[in-house]
Amino acid sequence: MTVKKLVSEDSKSVVIAIEGRFDFSLHQKFRESYSSDNISGSRFCLELSKATYMDSSALGMILLLKDHAEKLSGEVVVKNPSESVKKILEIAQIHKLMTIEG
Amino acid sequence: MDDILEKRDIKLALVVDDSAMQCKVLGVLLKEEGYKVFSANDGARGVAMYIKYKPDLVLMDINMPVMNGYEAARKIKSLSTGTSLCPLIFITSMDTDKAFIESIEAGGDGILVRPFSPAVFKAKIKSIQRISDLYQQVKVFQQEQQHDAELAEKLMSDVIESRNYALDKIGIIKKAAELFSGDIQLSALCPNGNINVLLGDFTGHGLRSAIGAIPLAETFRAMSRKGFSPFEIIKQVNHQMYDLLPVDLFLGAAFVTISSHDGSAYIFNAGLPDVYLFSEEGDIKSKFESSHPPMGILPDLLPDARLTVVPISEKDRVILISDGIVEARNEEGEMYEFERFEHAAKRGVVSGSVSESVLTSVNEFCLRMPQEDDISLIDIPCGGWEQTFVVHQAAEYINEENLSDLYDDTDSAWRWRLALNGSRLSSVNPIPMAMSQINEIEGNAEHWQSLYTILTELFVNALDHGVLGLDSELKTYHEGFIEYFKERESRLKVLDTGFVEIQLSYHPFTSGGRVKICIQDSGKGFSLREHYQKRADNKSDTPRLSGRGIELVEQLCESLEYKDNGTLVEASYVWTT
Repeated sequence: MTVKKLVSEDSKSVVIAIEGRFDFSLHQKFRESYSSDNISGSRFCLELSKATYMDSSALGMILLLKDHAEKLSGEVVVKNPSESVKKILEIAQIHKLMTIEG
Repeated sequence: MDDILEKRDIKLALVVDDSAMQCKVLGVLLKEEGYKVFSANDGARGVAMYIKYKPDLVLMDINMPVMNGYEAARKIKSLSTGTSLCPLIFITSMDTDKAFIESIEAGGDGILVRPFSPAVFKAKIKSIQRISDLYQQVKVFQQEQQHDAELAEKLMSDVIESRNYALDKIGIIKKAAELFSGDIQLSALCPNGNINVLLGDFTGHGLRSAIGAIPLAETFRAMSRKGFSPFEIIKQVNHQMYDLLPVDLFLGAAFVTISSHDGSAYIFNAGLPDVYLFSEEGDIKSKFESSHPPMGILPDLLPDARLTVVPISEKDRVILISDGIVEARNEEGEMYEFERFEHAAKRGVVSGSVSESVLTSVNEFCLRMPQEDDISLIDIPCGGWEQTFVVHQAAEYINEENLSDLYDDTDSAWRWRLALNGSRLSSVNPIPMAMSQINEIEGNAEHWQSLYTILTELFVNALDHGVLGLDSELKTYHEGFIEYFKERESRLKVLDTGFVEIQLSYHPFTSGGRVKICIQDSGKGFSLREHYQKRADNKSDTPRLSGRGIELVEQLCESLEYKDNGTLVEASYVWTT
């Protein structure tokens, strides 16, 4: 279980990649991954291709990220969820709240 | 625990050493530190004295006859329960890594290698005592917290579950992963005999996720009791959860209304696994997937949010589950999944106990695996509710009053009137308003249930068939039934003309009274003669999906009459006390 972070040169694009189980145990690391990015208009990409599982507290964490992005007039894009993660996102109807790609 | 601490202001130390000389030396040092000292000359006696005196500190030699220090330490540590750590220090002259490692593994909290100065010895005792005090504080806090949590849990489940409706008919599985469950199961009876059921799953589990449970239960029950529509309840619950919960906490919820006299179920799934409709034979008739983000994420429901309406038969069952069931894992890390659930549910529907069948199946699958998430299920029968609905038959009230004066309001104690125009007809439900007027003026009473049913049926008829011009014939077959609700929804959305006017007048008797109801709509009306003809023709026993509402109203009313070409209905409801 890890959270990896990549920031573009202009700092406007932040990629947060989750590997393994995406659940409450990542809470602290996940929050730290974006809390210092305060540039207006930032785009946060949440890369989930390597996330094997996701629970409802992870959904809550994504909503916190969305809240953070909206305060900066930015956006959150969820990318490449695996089939099992996609199922969870679907049940929560997350596509009605933010963009899901791949 | 507090008692023992207060009683024992002197600390006790136990020295276990086969050398009487060593016992004496250590005893003197300990006395200088304020301890009362006991000593034993072998491990076995040491254990016996530990049991007898429950000391606050044990000093243990390693090489001793009968029972050595390691073995004695293991025994003592296995005996020390409760809030006291009872620190144990090995005193030895073996200055080896092996001795050090073995003494820690035997349960020792420290080791002191001879020779040492009295000052070093005292410092060691102080440091170990400090750790022991901390340990005890943590233990006491933990016990207090556990105690408080148990009390809070009991209070909460009393408030939430014991007030649920028809627990004898509705099957429930509730298996919490922690003391507090993040899942919540609610059921309530509506004034018109409908049953509202909600299964909710708050993010995570434990106390943190249980904070929203009480306000949710209160809102659900109060609004059900007052006769608000399912959609209004869902809207309010969403809004309340949004106001109340922090951003990362929300409520996945499935909401079901069973309407026996309409023969339909209203379903809304926001963030829970599919809701199931099973037939009597255990076949899956329909599944209803989540169509909305969980409650409490958005300030308002999405514009496309809507309830699904399905026709139901008496013997059907609606089953709600939380994800804890399908995600339960066994020792190999496999998940229970939907297929196993569906099989177990099918067996349960046929055998007559869904919750038992599913719970047994989940337990057999998971065996000794610790439970990771709350597990819950609600199993609701679609029929058999009529008996529980208290129908207050229209009382025969005969007095000198001339029936032609029925709608002359001069003798009324009060009158209430509300006219809704255009788009307000789709956004406002006037029935809870009317009921709250009656409750406020005349107080709460059981016979208002019947009045509620009469008002609801007549208002819905005026709106649907009058203002919206929907044909009730559509509801006579299943596909039409669904078509009807789709059409109703789309017409309501664009509604900007028309009106429905409701008038109530209240006439008290010495024991009992009469409420007169007039509802006028802006629709085209209908041919009264055709209407009565059709009613007369329709006396067959074949079950119908429409028209049951008005039959019920006729049973409840003293009189029911259509006027003005069917655009005005006048009803009179009488009760005696």
